[in-house]
Amino acid sequence: MSEKNPVLELRDIWLRIPVNTREVRTLKKTLMRSVTGGSLRKTTSGTEIEALRGITCTIRHGERVALIGHNGAGKSTFLRLISGIYLATSGFFRASCPVFPMIQKSFITSPELSGLQAVKGHYLLTHGNLRGFSEYLHDIVEFSELGDFIHLPIKGYSEGMSARLLFTLLTSGNHDCLALDEGFGAGDARFFERAQRRLEEFIETAGTLILASHSDGLLRQFCHRGLVFSQGQIIFDGPIEESLSYYHGHCC
Amino acid sequence: MDTAAKALRFAWSSRQAWWFTATARTRDRFARTTLGSFWLGISNLLSISVLAVVYGTVFKVQDFNSYVVYLGTGLVIWNTIAGAVQSAPNLLRSNAGNLKNTNIHPIFYSLEEWAFQAQTFFQSFGLVLLALMVFQPTLPLHLISAGLLPLINLLLFIYWFPLLLCLLGAHFEDLYQLVPVALQVMFLLSPILYKKEALGTLGWTADINPLYRVLSNIRHALIEGQLKLDHALPLLLLNIIGTWFSVWLLERQRRYLPFLV
Repeated sequence: MSEKNPVLELRDIWLRIPVNTREVRTLKKTLMRSVTGGSLRKTTSGTEIEALRGITCTIRHGERVALIGHNGAGKSTFLRLISGIYLATSGFFRASCPVFPMIQKSFITSPELSGLQAVKGHYLLTHGNLRGFSEYLHDIVEFSELGDFIHLPIKGYSEGMSARLLFTLLTSGNHDCLALDEGFGAGDARFFERAQRRLEEFIETAGTLILASHSDGLLRQFCHRGLVFSQGQIIFDGPIEESLSYYHGHCC
Repeated sequence: MDTAAKALRFAWSSRQAWWFTATARTRDRFARTTLGSFWLGISNLLSISVLAVVYGTVFKVQDFNSYVVYLGTGLVIWNTIAGAVQSAPNLLRSNAGNLKNTNIHPIFYSLEEWAFQAQTFFQSFGLVLLALMVFQPTLPLHLISAGLLPLINLLLFIYWFPLLLCLLGAHFEDLYQLVPVALQVMFLLSPILYKKEALGTLGWTADINPLYRVLSNIRHALIEGQLKLDHALPLLLLNIIGTWFSVWLLERQRRYLPFLV
């Protein structure tokens, strides 16, 4: 894919998230509303949050884009939208290649199953077959330092063990486009250093990177363009240094 | 049309993954038992034996052998339908973490659950059929000669009907409490423990009961060795439409699912 080709195109994207309360989501309440002629509807009508408001931007192949903003500014929602977890309420969105969301916090298999089965399930989902699985498994077990624990059910793992396995699993492939959230865990302190190196290598191999973080150092290290988010809108789009200056000057 | 096709394409491309995770669940369920998956068949056989003796006596059954086959085949199919329906309302909620944080199409979870239910069915059905051959040795022959289309109908039904409930369950949080009650009523209204003729003038209730229609089609094929095409073909059409519609609806509802679960 050419460096100039747009990987992600967004034009006037709006995402409205319905706030569903328990009050309006039971058959009992629905029945009550129909019987009472809808009089309860006024008091319990759903509210919507405008999580993304009129987002327009183009991200080209090979770009390294930082998402900058306060908590709740729309960074994580933007990551979820471009990776296909959320679908836009309105506007035009096109992704020319699959976007891998690195915000996963659990395995696709049940906690009752073993780590090995979780790895196998993940491999089958990403590769469609088991060719090359034994080398892959060897790499996962070695880096996550799980050893024979890989054969035990995940529900018996400590938090650190689960985080190590999940981290190793998600950083085990190459992706054309990577949507990464800084809050992504990597296990205990001893593992953290090795994980940082692996993460850096992993990020380097990604064709296009979209990274959400509160760490200026991290953003400077990996990104050359910044999108500053505020209340679901992009309020600045430019080179990373200018974006960080804008953010600290206007939003802090 | 294209909406459902998109979901079905993902279903096909990820088939090895959802089949594997379902199989792993099936194996894990009996990992610490000596008899393994035989427990499924044994528990079914146990309930069939008890119910056959009790209700055979209550209903003063003349031909006990054919009653055991009638009740046994009916019960094992009902348990499959009930199991699939009962697990449906909470399916998306139990996969909430992945729905909110991964871009795996939600059809994956419905197919994994379907594969799990289908595997459970074949394990228990196989053993029950083997045991019921004592009373009617022609059952396997009938299954091959007349039971394949009804079996396909059952497999399709336990996919799309639970998927609809699963989508309803994401919207209505109290659905999972109502489903077991509804199933209990349906079970009592369905001629499983008793013959349809016993319903008398209420026989029409069985005719409009979709769960019973699926069940009776297989049971008739197994016992009589005859395929009722006038029942099986419309049912197949309904199942194809039902599958298409439920997948289409899933795709339509997909945008709301991360916010509902």
